[in-house]
Amino acid sequence: MSRVAKAYRNGVKVSERHGAGEWTAERLSSLIVVPLTLWGLWSAASLSGGGYDAALAWFSSWINSGLLILTLLVSVWHMNMGLKVIVDDYLHKPTTRTVVLGLIGLACLVLAAASVFFIVRLALGSAPLPAGFGA
Amino acid sequence: MTSSNDPAHQPGGFGLQPNGRPRPLSPHLQVWRWHVTMLGSILHRVSGGALSVGALLVVGWLLALAFGPDAYGTFVSLAGSPLGLLVWFGLTLALTYHLASGIRHLIWDAGSGLEPRTASTLTTASIVAAVVVALAFWAFLFATGRVSL
Repeated sequence: MSRVAKAYRNGVKVSERHGAGEWTAERLSSLIVVPLTLWGLWSAASLSGGGYDAALAWFSSWINSGLLILTLLVSVWHMNMGLKVIVDDYLHKPTTRTVVLGLIGLACLVLAAASVFFIVRLALGSAPLPAGFGA
Repeated sequence: MTSSNDPAHQPGGFGLQPNGRPRPLSPHLQVWRWHVTMLGSILHRVSGGALSVGALLVVGWLLALAFGPDAYGTFVSLAGSPLGLLVWFGLTLALTYHLASGIRHLIWDAGSGLEPRTASTLTTASIVAAVVVALAFWAFLFATGRVSL
């Protein structure tokens, strides 16, 4: 990558040649998340006001749990790319941008990992936390 | 009308390229005639940012649920308070707008609807659709007694 990143042609910087990949990833994540969002709205409506037991019953279905994991993972991926576009637009100092993008990436990884962890526990019907975690 | 390449009349001023050459910058918001597509673009970015906060709240909901009935009760009492419901309504609006606007972007990416008039119509339609769907969603929640003030 560093080989092409430093390439200039007629004094003009040549594309680093990964823009098309990001563009495709943005569209792909959008296409996946459109039907999942509609399903998410429907699920939110059916879960709201139902209380704790109804929510647990909802998660005991692996279809619900699996679709919610997929929804959150693709959404966080999409969110990471969207926030990167905003940062690229408004933060011009390379060091600041790298630090902010790093923090956003870290936050997205934590969100993704936490989502999977909680949903898998709920789907398995595990005892409420912090069971087995020092309590 | 001034010539667009006259250096004395570059409304956006100049910026330096990485190779040090000066290049004219695009004029910014204040010199453009207002178009609904500009509003659509700004709202798309704002709603996307709001939904990032929404993702945190959704994971917060999962966390509360995983920590058992007491934690879940605390979460629900906060989320179901008037302020909490207002936040969820705002997030619903952000979601329906980002969804409708995103579909509009996918239509454009496929190469259709790019004529100025069609683009504006698509944008207005996505704003109207977002408001209608969000209101209908909350009307349903209140009408079926799932949510109450």
